[in-house]
Amino acid sequence: MNSTQSPGAAVHIEDLDKYYGSFHALRKINLCVQRGEKVVVCGPSGSGKSTMIRCINRLEQHDGGRITVLGTELNDDVGNIDGIRREVGMVFQHFNLFPHMSVLENCMIAPMMVRKRPRAEAEATARGYLEKVRIPEQAMKFPGQLSGGQQQRVAIARALCMQPQLMLFDEPTSALDPEMIAEVLDVMVTLASEGMTMICVTHEMGFARRVADRVVFMDGGEIVEEAPPAEFFTSCRSERTRQFLSQVLGH
Amino acid sequence: MEMVIVAPPTPGRLEDLRRRFFATPLQTLLSLISLAIMVFVVWKLLNWAIFSAVFTTSGGPEACQAAAGACWSVIAARWRIILFGLYPFEEQWRSALACIAVVVMTVLSCIPAFWTGRRIALVWGTGAGLYYVLMKGGVLGLPHVGEEAWGGLALTLFIFVTTCLIGFPLAICLALLRRSDLPWISRTTGLIIDGVRSLPLISILFTFAVVLPFALPQWMVGDKLYRVIFGSALFFSAYQAEIVRGGMQGVPKGQEEAAMALGMSYWQRIGRILLPQAMRNALPATINQFVISFKETSLVVIVGFFEILASGNAAYGTGEWRFAYVEVYAFIAMIYFVFVFSLSRYGAFLERRMSVGER
Amino acid sequence: MISLLRNQRVRNTLLQVLYVGSLSGLVLACVMIARRNLAEQGITSGFDFLFKSTGWDVNFSLLPATANDPYWWYFLIGIVNTLFLGTVGLMLATIVGTIVGLARTSSNELARLLGRTYVDIFRNIPLILQVFFWYAVITHLPTPRAAHEAFGMLLTSRGLYLPIPNVGRAALVAAVVAIIAAVALPAWLGRTSRLSQPIGERLGIQLTAAATALATAAVILAFGRLPDLPLLDFPALQGLNLKGGLRIPPEFSALAIAIAIYGGSYIAEIVRGGFKAVGKGQMEAALSLGLSPWRVFTLVRLPLALRAMLPILANQYVWLMKATTMGIAVGFTDFFMIVALTINHSGQTLEAIGILMTGFLGINLSLAAVFNRVNKAIALKGNQLRG
Ligand SMILES: Nc1ncnc2c1ncn2[C@@H]1O[C@H](COP(=O)(O)OP(=O)(O)O)[C@@H](O)[C@H]1O
Ligand SMILES: [Mg+2]
Repeated sequence: MNSTQSPGAAVHIEDLDKYYGSFHALRKINLCVQRGEKVVVCGPSGSGKSTMIRCINRLEQHDGGRITVLGTELNDDVGNIDGIRREVGMVFQHFNLFPHMSVLENCMIAPMMVRKRPRAEAEATARGYLEKVRIPEQAMKFPGQLSGGQQQRVAIARALCMQPQLMLFDEPTSALDPEMIAEVLDVMVTLASEGMTMICVTHEMGFARRVADRVVFMDGGEIVEEAPPAEFFTSCRSERTRQFLSQVLGH
Repeated sequence: MEMVIVAPPTPGRLEDLRRRFFATPLQTLLSLISLAIMVFVVWKLLNWAIFSAVFTTSGGPEACQAAAGACWSVIAARWRIILFGLYPFEEQWRSALACIAVVVMTVLSCIPAFWTGRRIALVWGTGAGLYYVLMKGGVLGLPHVGEEAWGGLALTLFIFVTTCLIGFPLAICLALLRRSDLPWISRTTGLIIDGVRSLPLISILFTFAVVLPFALPQWMVGDKLYRVIFGSALFFSAYQAEIVRGGMQGVPKGQEEAAMALGMSYWQRIGRILLPQAMRNALPATINQFVISFKETSLVVIVGFFEILASGNAAYGTGEWRFAYVEVYAFIAMIYFVFVFSLSRYGAFLERRMSVGER
Repeated sequence: MISLLRNQRVRNTLLQVLYVGSLSGLVLACVMIARRNLAEQGITSGFDFLFKSTGWDVNFSLLPATANDPYWWYFLIGIVNTLFLGTVGLMLATIVGTIVGLARTSSNELARLLGRTYVDIFRNIPLILQVFFWYAVITHLPTPRAAHEAFGMLLTSRGLYLPIPNVGRAALVAAVVAIIAAVALPAWLGRTSRLSQPIGERLGIQLTAAATALATAAVILAFGRLPDLPLLDFPALQGLNLKGGLRIPPEFSALAIAIAIYGGSYIAEIVRGGFKAVGKGQMEAALSLGLSPWRVFTLVRLPLALRAMLPILANQYVWLMKATTMGIAVGFTDFFMIVALTINHSGQTLEAIGILMTGFLGINLSLAAVFNRVNKAIALKGNQLRG
């Protein structure tokens, strides 16, 4: 829909290609996300969703095309990569909390080491965000002592502590038991309402309807369809999308 | 109707014994053989080591040799040479203190409260420094004693501690290099590690002691003791590197990715995220490696050092104690046993604790 | 320049070039310095020295050896000695380890205690200390005059003297092969025909095979015997020394005993681990089929345990092979000692070290290859597990 270059874009992806060996994982992806925009990415397993959003903070290196994040192009310049990772937060499917640190330390380590914040300030920020994800009382516990939903909320708080301008979510709720999904989605909805730029890989279509400005459907390493949620759910153009939607919404 | 519940008769002592040791003919046979061996060995050993042994030096070697049992007088007469080698007699208290410093250091580093990189480094740095100052002297009014005069247990401990102090950081470096994304770096490091591991330790010690002086510029040759220590550290690090690498493979890939996504630099990721977890995984194997390495320090006797084994050979090898070799070797074996056994028990304890603690 | 250094690709290339370059530079520099230093001492580098005669003797050799032999022959002697000592040592260690390991896994508490004590004691005393100890024990045995005697064997401070058949070398080798066959053949036949034949018939075949092999050995010995001499050559005192028989020198016995005892304690743990790895379920299943405990052991527990322990056992064998280098501590001319002596006598330092490394690399690699083959041959196949 929106593929004209604009200077205010948070993420601008042009003709992105990615190979794993000889396997063509991403084919000529074009995507532009404005500041403040919330984009939900969905698609069948193995369609390249994770690969795409991991390219945005260089957890995967792309092989062709251009990726510009927050005005900086991702290329071989090491300084650019560091700068972008500082400004882009990421939440993983399996939380990836640091098990040998307390919840509070998990949230403080990056601000202290990367942003060189003094300890007191980092702690204040961390406690603030833990409050925001509604688990201030767990600050001194270790990740292994928390439930899955709590862990994922800590992971969100940890990313927020870096005060990022853009948040990436890679299936944040798919490793959770059903009763914990809501508590994580609630936090994400609040975050969205505060104007955070977000790119979410998720199959939670209720969330997409409520929050997303745009829904992107991927299959076979390509973006098949891209539309505002109202349009996407009612009148999608492609057969593949319809099939996928019937599977996801059917159950 | 009343039911009478008859409890099964609790087995009496004899019944219990019968069940445990004489349940079947095969069991009976096994028990009898084991018992016979045990009684025989224990009796022989006790008889030799205690009942018919001579403990005092009063009678001299002759009285000792005449006795049917062990001649512990040789230890009473020669313990100083076994423990301290040729260290000057009046200064041997320093040697003893230095050994105690090393033992205290080892015990301290077994306490979980000291298991952060900085604290462990501090404990080992202090221990080794204290040892060095005490042994070498030349400061604080302690007379200078050169390395060539060090010997016995004190030298064994020194070689062990310095081997670990140099070898451990080296092992971490090697492990990091081997898991590097850059193919040439990881391949070359792999070659070094596997090469060293395929060689026997003795050949490495020999190379460093005897061959290296030819191959180094004059100013780099240094003391033979330090060359040998470096060789032994290299050998230690090749094995330890694989242990550390195993520990790193046990850390999920997501951990490093999360740290990357937070913008942490390579060294921050390694130091704060990867290594703390990897070392935890590798702890039991690491302690095992320490145990092996402590036993292997005894090999430096072959390249001509006066460590505990050589000083033991000297203790019975000269003059009137020539017959008392069993006692001397038993004494040295006991010293090794105390160190090695307690360390390996500790390792087994940790392993059990960790396998229970982890969920 | 700065921006170039910030480029990831440039950085990666630079790092690799620096690392590999500085390492190879270091090695090269060492070799150059060594060559110069050695040249100053009048030693020309190169492998010509391999064909010069050594001028010194070895104290143990399975191959004929004199001081006139060239260096390459001595290196061969060293390798054969190392392999021989290693093989004897690890066979003994395996026997000790199996017995102790079985004791440790037995259901009998006393046997377990005994096995555990053995392992705890001998694992925790350095091997070289044990070598020194046994060497001291043997060299403190009585002189040949007052030798301990049993079954025609003599135990003295000069070594162990065994009676040996008075036959030619070739016949002796052939007889040994035949005797090995007498032991191996029934075992092999037992494996291949497994359960397909009734026990009685199988036993008959096995016995026939063993008897044939033994008979062959006897025939070889009878015909190969040297004329005009008794069949067995007993060692006997002549003057101050012992003549005749086969002498096993104290150096060899000390090393073999120490390796057997120390290695046995490690192998015992491996054996125990192997048996622990066999699931209780499989044994219970076998027992519930009505198999006797002995057959459960030989048909189920042992084969499964063997598979579990083999990879670790392979590592242990490689280690034991390398442990033969302790020979130098008591003066047994193994491969490493030959190298050390060569450096002492000829000064061909770099070449000798190179040969040493190549030799051990070769030994390691061939052992690894052998174990890989064995491992593959006995590994559980996927369909076997299911079927
Ligand atoms: N590290 C990798 N190596 C090789 N192939 C990979 C790797 N990561 C992902 N792939 C492949 O790329 C495709 C896209 O994967 P991914 O982006 O994880 O899919 P999604 O997140 O949509 O389920 C899959 O077919 C997957 O097998
Ligand atoms: Mg995915």
